[in-house]
Amino acid sequence: MTVGFLFGHLTFALLVFLLIPGVGLAWQLRALLLVAALGLAFVVVDGLSLGDYTRSYTDDLAVTTLLWLVWRSGEKLSGRTLACSKQDWGVVWVFAILALVLYPATLGLTVLDPYRLGFSPAPMLAVLWLLCLWLWWRKYLLALGLICIATGAWLLDVKASDNYWDYLVDPLLGLYCWGALLRLAWQFRRRGDRAVPQSAG
Amino acid sequence: MTTTPSTLQEGRLLPSVLLYRLCLPLLCLLFACGLWFSSTPRLAPFAIDHPRDPAALANDAEMLEPLFASDFASSTFQRHVHSSSIAALPDGGLISVWFAGSREGAADVDIRGARFDPASGDWGEEFKLISRATTERVLQRDIRKLGNPVIALAPDNRLWLFYVSVSLGGWAGSAINTIHSDDGGATWSQPRRLITSPFLNISTLVRNPPVFHADGSIGLPIYHEFLGKFAEYLYLCPEGRIIDKFRISRGSHSLQPTVVPLSEDSALALLRNSGVEHGKVLASFTSDRGQTWTDHVPVQPWNPNSAVAAISEGDGDILVVLNDLEDGRFRLTLYHTDASLKDWRKVSVLDEGPLPQEWVTEELFRRELQDSYTAVAEAEEETPAKLQALVQSAEKRGCRGGQRCTFKFEYPTLIRAPNGFFHLVYSWNNTLIKHVVFNSAWVEQQR
Repeated sequence: MTVGFLFGHLTFALLVFLLIPGVGLAWQLRALLLVAALGLAFVVVDGLSLGDYTRSYTDDLAVTTLLWLVWRSGEKLSGRTLACSKQDWGVVWVFAILALVLYPATLGLTVLDPYRLGFSPAPMLAVLWLLCLWLWWRKYLLALGLICIATGAWLLDVKASDNYWDYLVDPLLGLYCWGALLRLAWQFRRRGDRAVPQSAG
Repeated sequence: MTTTPSTLQEGRLLPSVLLYRLCLPLLCLLFACGLWFSSTPRLAPFAIDHPRDPAALANDAEMLEPLFASDFASSTFQRHVHSSSIAALPDGGLISVWFAGSREGAADVDIRGARFDPASGDWGEEFKLISRATTERVLQRDIRKLGNPVIALAPDNRLWLFYVSVSLGGWAGSAINTIHSDDGGATWSQPRRLITSPFLNISTLVRNPPVFHADGSIGLPIYHEFLGKFAEYLYLCPEGRIIDKFRISRGSHSLQPTVVPLSEDSALALLRNSGVEHGKVLASFTSDRGQTWTDHVPVQPWNPNSAVAAISEGDGDILVVLNDLEDGRFRLTLYHTDASLKDWRKVSVLDEGPLPQEWVTEELFRRELQDSYTAVAEAEEETPAKLQALVQSAEKRGCRGGQRCTFKFEYPTLIRAPNGFFHLVYSWNNTLIKHVVFNSAWVEQQR
């Protein structure tokens, strides 16, 4: 039993909540906005809910992406930053690298298919374990938490996919992370210095 | 009692340090569990078809006499029909499926089917097997169109149907869905989507029937169409969950693989060549049950970027059905070749337009269409009104500007039933699904 259909509704609600400007609103109004977005996800148009339509085009997002959206929504709701920029950049770097490893090769640019590693992921788990140990040692706890929860979700088989990759990364998260890195590179180029970057969000 | 700022800080710090340290054993436990439950599958040998005992076949008068017959599996003319598939049923009958609608890719396209009754020797009325609306409702996703149904009977007598659906864009946005039946196609399970791609699960299609491994696992030849065009081999457990996936080819011009097991460990894949220049069918081999495949190489017959069907005749002999043309799909031919694919021999032209060229006049198209239909259809079906409806429907799909028309005999699927007969279905001018049956004696007679 998977809870896949809820992924679409949650994705729709969180994306709508994050995209609507909430500047100047009291936290109660922002909370109301989130509840309204969640309600909107269940509105049915032509036999399908808006959450279902979202799922049709985004497929089921990775567990990490959903958690990241929840994290960002929590920040917007509380009106304060819940983690320092180091944590944000830890997430961006880790998932940008995972996306880079996965997508170009899977789409046929090489004869290797890293996606198939996710069906019997023992070697992949070993690599991710080492990565997590490094993240723990360097205290990138947000990225560590996302990977660990995604791994737990894979163990519990909460998604329709049989592939470990589908719990870890999806194109939206990959695009977001690469967008943040490109923006950072652009900032470096414009400033011409090595200033410490601001939050990735 | 008053609390100083320093003790407050320590009070906060202590749990967070403990929590941080606790992370390490939890992290190790989590990944240890992951490694424990992550098994590395071993692919079972290919299940080689053994159509009845060869000795029994040799004594069977039905098999000794050359047999070649044809009829139509579909029974209406109004819809655009395409991409048929066929499976032998446990009761000796057949079931064929195809997609049909106002045009390819239209929202009204359904997956339709018909059953062949071995007692009467006739195809029954066609029926709707699954619709876009049903798929949409069950999968809870917006579905724009359906296509490419593929049907096969597993060794455990479970009937599998795979078909593609598109939510966004063209066929490159396809995903594969599956339903199955445990009662020979009388009732079917709800549709289930296979997750085969990390890129929004788009761009995986199916066209040719699966092969089976000795433990009942399913080897489904699939292909990818977004950015690159390449073939893959999807390995599923007998219950239909994905176990693994292997690349058959790479690049941007090979698709629609058809897999022919040659022995318990080896198999051949023939691939449609969609290269810009007209080309030949591509071939690739595996000797490790589908895990790795050789670089694809072109084989002898011409093929104008159209679908190919193939099956083993036993003893290394392979039968291949394809459009052996440089352009067009107005001729469909049965070839015989050996396992090395070096010796190709034309067995018979199965269907052909009246001229050795793609385009014919409307008048010739009408006349030839009626003649070839009446040569195949039952005599009692040949009413003038029916023939008129057939011509009108075929003209809508085969003629341009009312002047130039082309015949299309395409998208073949070839199987061998347990009784040893070969069954072929293909699109007949996108108006009907034609069924051809023959046996090895007939193939031998053509030599």
